[in-house]
Amino acid sequence: MKAAGLRPAAAAAPALGVALALVPLIAPHNITVLNLGFFTFLYVAQGLAWNILGGFAGYISFGYAAFFGLGAYTTALLWLHGWTPVLTFPLAGLCAAAFSLVVGVPTLRLIGPYFSIATIGVGEAMRILMLNLDKVTGGASGLNLPTVVPSKGWFYLAALAIAAVAYVTAVWVRGSRFGLGLAALRMDQDAAETLGVRTALFKNVAHVISAFLVGVCGGLFAMYFQYLHPDNVFSFTESISLVLIALIGGIGTIWGPILGAAVFFAVQDYLQTSYPAFHLLVYGVLLIVILLFEPRGLAGLAARLAGRRRVPAPVAVTPAAPGTVAPPPAQGGAL
Amino acid sequence: MFTAQNLISICITSILTAGLYAVMSYGLAIIYGVMKVINLSNAGFLMLGAFMTLVYSQAWHLDPIAGAFLNMPLFFLAGWAVYVLLVRRVRQALPIASLLMLFGLWLVLQNVALSVWGSEDQSIITRYTYKALSFFDYRLAVTRLVVFAVALVVMALLHVLLNHTYVGKALRATVQDPQAALLAGIDTERISALAFGIGTAFAGFAGGLMTLLFSFTPDFGAPFQLKSFTIIVLGGLENLAGVTIGAAILAFAESFAVLFMRASLQNVVAYALLVVALIVMPGGVTSVFGRRS
Amino acid sequence: MSAPAPDFGAATMTSSPLVLEHVTKRFGGLVAVESVTVAVESGKITGLIGPNGAGKTTIFSVVSGHLAPTTGRVVALGHDITGWSPHAVCRLGLCVTHQLVRPFPDLSVLENVMVGAAFGGGARIAARDARREAMAVLDFAGLAARAEQPASALTLAQRKRLEIARALATRPSVLLLDEVLAGLTPSEVVQAVTLVRQISARGITIVMIEHVMHAVMNLSHRVLVLNYGRLIADGTPAEVTGNREVIEAYLGAGGDETPHD
Repeated sequence: MKAAGLRPAAAAAPALGVALALVPLIAPHNITVLNLGFFTFLYVAQGLAWNILGGFAGYISFGYAAFFGLGAYTTALLWLHGWTPVLTFPLAGLCAAAFSLVVGVPTLRLIGPYFSIATIGVGEAMRILMLNLDKVTGGASGLNLPTVVPSKGWFYLAALAIAAVAYVTAVWVRGSRFGLGLAALRMDQDAAETLGVRTALFKNVAHVISAFLVGVCGGLFAMYFQYLHPDNVFSFTESISLVLIALIGGIGTIWGPILGAAVFFAVQDYLQTSYPAFHLLVYGVLLIVILLFEPRGLAGLAARLAGRRRVPAPVAVTPAAPGTVAPPPAQGGAL
Repeated sequence: MFTAQNLISICITSILTAGLYAVMSYGLAIIYGVMKVINLSNAGFLMLGAFMTLVYSQAWHLDPIAGAFLNMPLFFLAGWAVYVLLVRRVRQALPIASLLMLFGLWLVLQNVALSVWGSEDQSIITRYTYKALSFFDYRLAVTRLVVFAVALVVMALLHVLLNHTYVGKALRATVQDPQAALLAGIDTERISALAFGIGTAFAGFAGGLMTLLFSFTPDFGAPFQLKSFTIIVLGGLENLAGVTIGAAILAFAESFAVLFMRASLQNVVAYALLVVALIVMPGGVTSVFGRRS
Repeated sequence: MSAPAPDFGAATMTSSPLVLEHVTKRFGGLVAVESVTVAVESGKITGLIGPNGAGKTTIFSVVSGHLAPTTGRVVALGHDITGWSPHAVCRLGLCVTHQLVRPFPDLSVLENVMVGAAFGGGARIAARDARREAMAVLDFAGLAARAEQPASALTLAQRKRLEIARALATRPSVLLLDEVLAGLTPSEVVQAVTLVRQISARGITIVMIEHVMHAVMNLSHRVLVLNYGRLIADGTPAEVTGNREVIEAYLGAGGDETPHD
């Protein structure tokens, strides 16, 4: 499934990556830029990862903070036990991936909206459990980590590298047989099953891949921040940031989460000093406006401005087939 | 631990809590029942209901109970407007679109409240807030009894509305079979707007009542929102009477769970029940959205 | 995918690619299908008719794996497929089309068919081969000119064709067609009938649910009649149209449909 016009974008990505990688060389002491870059890339990576399940497969999860938090605590605890933090990243990812399987196998049988609701429950339950596991997580007093750290430039590049990995993964998934199967099950689970798509397996694989990437991001975050608190890394705000980044950028597209994360942090950065609460308000309004007028998000808007219409259509707002009176999408709970 | 007295006291607490839980969940159930929309903005309206009650109390010394009732018409109009302006326009899309839309609305409400009232804890103290009544050996907070009684009255009124008026019957018919209702000449668009209005009115009302029991912040609605989901899923989603049952199950489960675990873990009970109920309740989700033959 | 050991019972000894043995499906108190036993002949077209609500689509759903039978078993292509998932049934070589056509709306016509080619029938297939194979199927189904259009832009007749093409792309040995002629104009029906014949000529066993009587009687080698979930007649088209019980089922209880179109 190659959408027409993807090629220039595909060529633009490596060029953009290389250009961004040069920034720490040019401005090694510009902490503001490097920090902004770090957070943006960290969320580009997570937005792209979230989008593999949320955008490609159409399962909107409000619970990804659980993966982020698990990744962060995996790195933190291993670090405290003497591991080199960078070496813990794969384990942070695996820990998140394992948890995603535990959660996904039962909940991905639910059809879309119920999955979303269940993930809110799972995410909040995890946060409260972690707050209460004070022996392990430090509970409400948090967990202080060692302060031996590389430079801001190093973090900038590490986040960029993870974002690049997430980008390549997303592009690969999208163009592969696996991606075709996800697209099919997103639009009609029953029909996909009928044509031989192993929907339960595919959904879970998508979930695991994206959870792994988010777990790694959590690990990097722990190393950067040097202090963890369950209310912070397991927060609902963390979860909804990913939903907003993908939706506002353009759900189900490759460039959507990238644009979304960039705008998210630009808006946050701009508003944070004067109106700290306002960026979520702005995002709420943006979300409503986008659902009403441009379900493909900023990526769709960009495509519209560029006069290209064939952008992969959105997950969220596919109209019901004409002639049927708005039936619930018949997606069986087949496992 | 399990003295008879203890048990009775837990049961009384559970029943009182169930009353509150039921009244805060009815709105969600009605909206879901009529249009199969999961109203994530319910949390926002619960919170707003509490803050509006605070506003009346500060401006006119209005009692929270009266404030809760005053909320009803205002929130009814707000809900109607939300349906007409927002929800209706994405109803033809997949159900997830309306869920996300209402989630956006929740964010907006929450953050507007944050910028108006700030993030400090707010509370309303009335003359009877700290009073308690004694029945035999049990002391019961007056506020809980009042909330329970008022909740019962309002649910009785809802029952009358649903069973003995044309609008109510049309609404119930739409819950049971929207296609048939449409064929029978019921204007399902108007019923949907009405349901959204009633649902939101209930949220505003419940939010007002809750000011008697809890302090609140702009984040106030979220845990109750999840509890409401648990309740309507336990109750069978389609079934309005099931709300009462779901509320009772949750209230009892929470009260008894506290005997075995830390109080700070109490909310986990609701979330765990939610996930389990969603997955295994055959009378719930699966019967509605089950595979078609 | 659970694949119970092939069962070499009496039914599978025959060369029938699809056998139902005492299949019953209840929904609560309602018996939708009651003890239906039938062996479909290989390479032939079998028609499945009956008044609305007779249980025809339920039988298809039981075969396709979307519903599990309450009792009884389904044996296809040498495997007891009772309780298999739909995707496993499809990969075994048995594909069902849906009565309400459901193309993937955001995919192009070609991509729709590619889903069937990439995931159906046995061996794994690379994306490029899936594309080539899908194109060949579209050619066969007469939709090649529309390959790049979004599926949501098709007319009803084209959607029905797409539904068939998608199923064909899974390389089925047995194809179950659920009302592929319903809602078509007379000339579209003629074209669709030709397509079904061409599919049959490829050696694919076909079972079709149909209300367009003249077409089904024309096409079928054998007709099964279902009423209130029970199989009430089984024979050549001529035998079935002469059957008294069949006529009563349509005229007496059923009402608005008649065996002669």
